[in-house]
Amino acid sequence: MSVSASSYDKKSKNSLQNGEGNSVQSQSVWRSIIADRQKLQTIVTLLVLLLMIIVFSFFNPRFLTLSNFQNLARNTAPLIIAASAMTAVMIARGLDLSVGSVLAACSVVAASLAVKGVPLPLAFLAALAFGAFIGFLNGAIIVKMRVSPIIVTLGSLNIARGIAYLITPSAILVGLPPNWSTLGTTKIGPFPMPILIAAVVALVYSWASQKTKFGKHVYAVGGNEEAARLSGVPVERTLISLYVLSGMMAALAGIVLSTRVGSGDPNIGVGFELEVIAAVIIGGTSLSGGEGRIMGTVIGAIIVGVLSNGLNLSGVEPFWQYVAQGMVLIAAVVVDKRVNEGVLRIGRRRPRAA
Amino acid sequence: MSSIDLAEPAPRTETGQPVLQAFGLSKQFPGVRALAGVDFDLMRGEVHCLIGENGAGKSTFVKILAGATQPDSGEILVRGVKAEMAGPRDAKELGLAFIFQELSVVDGLTVAENIVLGSEPGARGRFDAQSATATARKILLGIGFDTLDPDMRVGRLSTAEKQAVMIAKALCANADVIVMDEPTSPLEEQEVRQLFQVIATLKQQGKAIIYVSHKMREIEEIGDRVTVFKDGAKVATLNRAEATPRELIRLMVGRDLGDIFPAKDRQPGREVLKVSGLSGARIRDIDLSVRAGEIVGVAGLVGAGRTELLRSIFGADEVVHGEVSVDGELVPANSVRGAIRSGIGLVPEERRGQGIVGVLSVFDNVLLPWQEFPDSRRDNGEPEIVARQAVESMNVKTPSIRQRISLLSGGNQQKVVVGKWLTMKTRVLLLDEPTRGIDIGAKREIYKLIHDLAKSGLAILLVSSELPEVLGLCDRILVLNNGYAVGELPGSASEADVIELSMLHGGQS
Repeated sequence: MSVSASSYDKKSKNSLQNGEGNSVQSQSVWRSIIADRQKLQTIVTLLVLLLMIIVFSFFNPRFLTLSNFQNLARNTAPLIIAASAMTAVMIARGLDLSVGSVLAACSVVAASLAVKGVPLPLAFLAALAFGAFIGFLNGAIIVKMRVSPIIVTLGSLNIARGIAYLITPSAILVGLPPNWSTLGTTKIGPFPMPILIAAVVALVYSWASQKTKFGKHVYAVGGNEEAARLSGVPVERTLISLYVLSGMMAALAGIVLSTRVGSGDPNIGVGFELEVIAAVIIGGTSLSGGEGRIMGTVIGAIIVGVLSNGLNLSGVEPFWQYVAQGMVLIAAVVVDKRVNEGVLRIGRRRPRAA
Repeated sequence: MSSIDLAEPAPRTETGQPVLQAFGLSKQFPGVRALAGVDFDLMRGEVHCLIGENGAGKSTFVKILAGATQPDSGEILVRGVKAEMAGPRDAKELGLAFIFQELSVVDGLTVAENIVLGSEPGARGRFDAQSATATARKILLGIGFDTLDPDMRVGRLSTAEKQAVMIAKALCANADVIVMDEPTSPLEEQEVRQLFQVIATLKQQGKAIIYVSHKMREIEEIGDRVTVFKDGAKVATLNRAEATPRELIRLMVGRDLGDIFPAKDRQPGREVLKVSGLSGARIRDIDLSVRAGEIVGVAGLVGAGRTELLRSIFGADEVVHGEVSVDGELVPANSVRGAIRSGIGLVPEERRGQGIVGVLSVFDNVLLPWQEFPDSRRDNGEPEIVARQAVESMNVKTPSIRQRISLLSGGNQQKVVVGKWLTMKTRVLLLDEPTRGIDIGAKREIYKLIHDLAKSGLAILLVSSELPEVLGLCDRILVLNNGYAVGELPGSASEADVIELSMLHGGQS
């Protein structure tokens, strides 16, 4: 990726220097953008996001304010964290439906420990470990027993939600220490803490997916599992690691979310997995694995966040927001399919000679 | 990762020593002797071709080498040491690389990333992209594919370029035996030339190549030795000079047909099925006609368009041009339901996947079209009686017509699939590999049934990969090559005639 991006830069510099080659150069640059599914998809989603921002700011002047953007950033942070992890899982052709429940279970774990007087860092670490543990179970069962990830994580979705209620039978925990909300509500400069954490997660995931052997293995496993196995890629270890990370990132999202709202609530995160998957798919990750980028997902997550934030501000009833989100998701998949087919047609150079 | 010095040929440890040997390899599948005591040896710097009809044992042999199938007996020696191929990774570690038609590349990764996949350069988990690109560039240069950009995504490459990536990957893994299974079938003529140059380079580097092919011209051109397989056994290994096409064909054929086929004492009547100018994705401008009481065979290599021809006539594969008529009446194009109403029935290639509905009973299976098309029924009686008659006329052996069809033997299942068309006013029966996976006794019975059906006035079009079957049953044989009808032979033709027509006469138009 980085190499093609730098050659793109070089090309545009060249074309600026010698004016005559300009149109030819830019034409080829355009062609390379059109032919590269990923780039095209990123551009399309960015345009959609821009359009949404314009439309919402037109409907409500409060949309384009710093405080609303800070609010938006705080709300979108858990989504970006969990969706970054989900992107890697889905690139490897997996799926993790349990993230919403794991988020709830882990935040309840952290909150109940905090109520008992356990120092916050330790409580948070315990929550992360618990999330990683559920992720490990997901991955191990999927890989070793060869069960479909949908089934396994649908099961653990229920299990984790059950655990959350078992820990706190009487709904919301009381007696949280006063510093509980620090993480979720502080700001560094104009930036709320949650979005900074999310940015770090997304950057690390993005770097790892492009610049490490592990990242290459993730793409290989999703693109052609058999080829990866025959090349000596540790397919099983790669997949299990991805689910462990997904569980851990769901836990982190849970910590961020519950410290922001200032409670330990077993009811949070219902339907969160669908928002996460929507963000990943809107961001251009291929449903059939092997393709996708973290930065696309970040844009996808922002689109999901802007959609609900914007609809809220425009006074649309919350129930309609579900409808809108569902439609955006379906539209994204349809666009994904179209773009894919279009590029395939361009990419196939030799039509079979008749 | 070990470096590959492409500047000079790899050290040749005595040109005379075989890098790979096999002794008495045997493999039995239920009802089929897939491989019987095959001995084989492969020298460094040699291209050793494998040739044989479909089912002759080439694929089983290659699968055993790849570790995908375990032999019942026999042993394999790699560089003189006994090798256990428990799985694909063992073969890789022993320096064997495989380039199958189904290319195992990862489309989402770049050329360089594919080449180094599994042995990536870089310290502490970092992927060293520069070093990967450099390695890839060096290897690609070595095989004359230096025009290929290492940073290009593989999904955007042509098949020939993907093959080059696979070959480069094999070299990167330091393989010294490279097995290629029909590598040229998806290639254009010019790409074939390029591949042959790569093979010549590999030979110079001391690599040994096993080359599986159907194409005589290629074997003549690049083969140092040729091993002929027939019915699971090795017939002979010939040197280049001895391996003339005539001789190879003679060795591949020449088997006892026996009298498992009924005498061809049918009297063809008037024309029933007429196909003119039929073209689709895989077939081009095909004309044919089948008369009542006639069995016409369709021969050709795998991929020649045989199945596609039957499916297009039946409306299951898209037809772009041309028309089909039955008894002079035009059959609506691209409509399976229209074809059935016009009196066409198809017995598809894969019995389990396409012919039967495994969870349903014999009764439900045999009456599938009957219940769906009341206007095209042959007989409007009670369903129970109609089903029983069809089952009896096909001589299906089942304890009850309520039996789940998946519990019957393959031969009896197939008879049900044919039987369902006998409940209808069927005029044309299209049979695609009707005896595949059926034991020899049941085959004979099905041959007799096919013959009897023709005799009763049906027009039958039969596709089979088994040439003896085509020759033993058919009155005429249409030979396809790369989607075109390249000729027609009488039922009295020899296997050699059919093979020659389907292989020798250009694959390209």
